[in-house]
Amino acid sequence: MKKTESKKKLSVEAKGVTKLFGDFQALKGITANIYEGEVVVVFGPSGSGKSTFIRTINGLEEHNSGEITVNGIPLNDDVKNRDEIRGQVGMVFQQFNLFPHLSVLRNITLAPQKVKKLSKSESEELAMSLLERVGIPEQAAKFPTQLSGGQQQRVAIARALAMQPKIMLFDEPTSALDPEMIKEVLDVMIELAQSGMTMICVTHEMGFAREVADRFLFFDEGLIVEEGTPEHFFKNPKEERTKLFLSQIL
Amino acid sequence: MMILLNWVRENFFGSKLDVILSIVGAFFIYFILSTVISFIINSDWTLILVNRQLMLTGLMPEEEIWRVWTIFSLTVILMTTSVAFWFNINIKGSIFYILLLLMPFLIFTTKNTLLYVLLIMILSIVFFYLGYRSKNSGLKNIVSRVIVISWIILLPICFLILNILDGPKMTLWGGFMINLILAAIAIFAGFPLGILLALGRASSYKLIKLISTLYIEVIRGAPLVAWLLLAWFVLPKFLPNLFGLSDLNIVVRAMIVLSLFASAYIAEVIRGGLQSIPRGQEEASFALGMNSISTTIFIVLPQAIKIVIPTVVSTFIAIFKDTSLVFILAITDLLRIGRLIPEQQQAFFGKSIESLCVVALLFWIVSLVLSQISRNIEKKLNI
Repeated sequence: MKKTESKKKLSVEAKGVTKLFGDFQALKGITANIYEGEVVVVFGPSGSGKSTFIRTINGLEEHNSGEITVNGIPLNDDVKNRDEIRGQVGMVFQQFNLFPHLSVLRNITLAPQKVKKLSKSESEELAMSLLERVGIPEQAAKFPTQLSGGQQQRVAIARALAMQPKIMLFDEPTSALDPEMIKEVLDVMIELAQSGMTMICVTHEMGFAREVADRFLFFDEGLIVEEGTPEHFFKNPKEERTKLFLSQIL
Repeated sequence: MMILLNWVRENFFGSKLDVILSIVGAFFIYFILSTVISFIINSDWTLILVNRQLMLTGLMPEEEIWRVWTIFSLTVILMTTSVAFWFNINIKGSIFYILLLLMPFLIFTTKNTLLYVLLIMILSIVFFYLGYRSKNSGLKNIVSRVIVISWIILLPICFLILNILDGPKMTLWGGFMINLILAAIAIFAGFPLGILLALGRASSYKLIKLISTLYIEVIRGAPLVAWLLLAWFVLPKFLPNLFGLSDLNIVVRAMIVLSLFASAYIAEVIRGGLQSIPRGQEEASFALGMNSISTTIFIVLPQAIKIVIPTVVSTFIAIFKDTSLVFILAITDLLRIGRLIPEQQQAFFGKSIESLCVVALLFWIVSLVLSQISRNIEKKLNI
């Protein structure tokens, strides 16, 4: 699925982003542009900074230098900007991070009610339609601990979608799942991609990535080593480090 | 019969070590039981019969006792309704609770008050039944709200009943009643204050964090006795002259000190709970666009409190027992009366053991009830 980059709006613009954790420099200067409707897959060895990068996009990690602009809003010290960006960016975590003391339905309706001031009936209607979209409407009254991993992650996706974001971030969404449950989550993500959502996914699922991604970003040691289309990566990767990593995982 | 013998043989005489332990244990139990039972039979318990009112309500004059009975009835009825409504009580459990409540009744009723007692018991049974029935009916939400509101206004209403129509001076309050009232106030005031302190200590605003930490560390740095004495001597000088605050009587000052003291310990317990909530919960909440306050109120705090309920109830039990320290402020609480009776009353000179046994029994019953409630809450939340 190729989209012409020049005609689309810029969703996320990162220029020279760095992030320091004490002595360890996780990001050494990331520059990347992600366009509206694009599905970008970020991959690389562990510790390469891929999770850190997407967490800087919605402000969960504060970047030390460089610029990040999301949908035209600069991410800086201004808390109002950060909150506005968070309202437009949804995130799905590796560990699901569902709220265990709330029912599935309440997990999804809480933020729309508190942040977007939706009424109880509006938010519940929205939640049920999203649960249907991810395929588990019958689980609405249950609690997260009563669901399987794959179901929990799908609820997490529905919960993020309930805020009607323009961009979705996925931080290794299937890495904590048993193999037989990975497919159900990937199917939801594929449907999401096909519906035109701008997605940035950190993942190791190369099959899924090959199918939906418009672009790959290969991270290593805090820098983007190589970027390009999936075909470019699988047919003729340029850098040595890329070739080495691909040979290990394919 | 055979099954019983087999069970005994297996559990008590299984191995050589079992046999030795069983024999030693049996002697031990026999020794203790015989001492205790012979003591109970041979002691003169008239001390209790004569001093019932003194132990329960201290120096409160006879004419005002009706207030105590009213408060007691209201509390008992509210408790039975709550228990019937919220806890899954089976027949065994209900009988246990009823016997537990009957014990102090039987110890402390006189011929005059027998009517009161019967009335309370009948009303309790009625409300128990009502609470039990409404658990599954459509009125569930309304009844639930009514019960919660009743608990919240119970304490102010108790104060109202004690003071209305020229009630006895606060300094006359005493006995078991004052222990219960002081503990109730310390817990109801200390718990919300403790939550605020815990959140303050975890706050990112440096000033709030500093004040909260300082408060907690200073309070925990001295024993409660020291703080109570400070309340007696020092507090009046610090309180402003407005609203007659500097003339606060000693009972109110004790309430203030106990509440502040309790809040420091409760704060630390809750802080432990807050720290045990994985960071991912906060991150997920922030990622959804919720601010710090909403995250704390809806996500972090409920989970934290649920985790620390056992420890918090232990703290409550400790607070309740700490209330007997107010004796140094010349407040006649249950323990003080229990010690003074054998010393000051000629008829019972030297019978400290009987007196203190009853005091211990009363304290123990309250602690037991609190522990049971805690266990029931835990069981309910883990469903």
